[in-house]
Amino acid sequence: MKKLATALCCLAALGLSAPVFAHGFTKPQHGGVVQMNGETLFELVAQPAGVSLYMIDEDDPVNAAGMTAKLSVTAGGKRKDVAMVAMKGNQFFAKGLKLPKGANVGVQVTNKASGARYGTTFTIK
Amino acid sequence: MKRKFRLSRVAAVAAAMTVSLTAVAAEAHGIWFAQRAKQLALIYGIGADDLDMVKRLPQVEKIAAYDADYQPIKAAARVAGPIVLVDSDAQPTVLAAVMPYGIWSRVGTGEFEKKTLQEMPNATVSTHNIKYAVAIVGPLTKPLAALPGQTVQIVPAGPIPATLGTPLKYVVLYNGKPVAGAKVINDMVNDPDAKDVETGADGAVTLPVRNQGLNVIRAVYVGPSDQPKLYKQVEHTATLTFTLPHLPE
Repeated sequence: MKKLATALCCLAALGLSAPVFAHGFTKPQHGGVVQMNGETLFELVAQPAGVSLYMIDEDDPVNAAGMTAKLSVTAGGKRKDVAMVAMKGNQFFAKGLKLPKGANVGVQVTNKASGARYGTTFTIK
Repeated sequence: MKRKFRLSRVAAVAAAMTVSLTAVAAEAHGIWFAQRAKQLALIYGIGADDLDMVKRLPQVEKIAAYDADYQPIKAAARVAGPIVLVDSDAQPTVLAAVMPYGIWSRVGTGEFEKKTLQEMPNATVSTHNIKYAVAIVGPLTKPLAALPGQTVQIVPAGPIPATLGTPLKYVVLYNGKPVAGAKVINDMVNDPDAKDVETGADGAVTLPVRNQGLNVIRAVYVGPSDQPKLYKQVEHTATLTFTLPHLPE
């Protein structure tokens, strides 16, 4: 009986705490850095070959093929806009791009069908 | 704002001051930026009254976006059903808008009418109203600049804090310089009837950041007329918007 009560308490606790984890993705999934804008996650991954961006919107990975993505790198008083290429799943890629330390990187992803824009800004450390 | 000012509010203001010699702030509505369905929208209203921005869109004189260095990014308004969204060509750090709101005149405590001083020569109040909005939507890496077209602008005098309740100093600029006598409230959406705080000689006020979410600070400054034959004063209503994120869930 005591074990059952303990189990019920645990279940109740789990039940109560479930909404806390309603928006699960706030951590990097690909070894990059994450910036949240509301409940949209952007993960930027600097790689030797270029820069990848992954986007998860309200816990659902977006379909990169249905979007366009652009990075705006501001450093040394100049801004460079770089169009990214849609890859598999929710990945976008900018080949050959380097992100200098201290740069601000604006991310803008646009839904091709609706025109809705999603974005955030990273500061590169 | 409705086409005619709310008489009760105007009457209350009129009762509180001598209208013949004193500059009168006649209109409390403003424009500000806010998120709607994750998009940036331009809002007109006051308090919870999110009024019809679409029909007022032709009055908007300027919509601008700026990057982290306050260099302009191409931006435009887009009507999306009953709301007005702002699309920019790249992710902005700051958004800005200007909306002239016409010339309004009245006699005594009568109803304001959309007339100039020439059309109502016996007007005791005749004002040209202009609305301004600035939103901080990305991290600031340097102090917010005086932006083109923002005749009156609220700028934070320090970093935006992470949590509500933290005091934040704001400076109200008029033509790019701190101005005394601007009337500031801390939250025109959730506390629109708050007693305003007037800027001192340094143009500054310090207020606790009110919301762990959207903050819309409003400043009203009544300045001199630039066309005294048409109106006696210019009423500038400026907002500054920023958002404090909530804790991760």
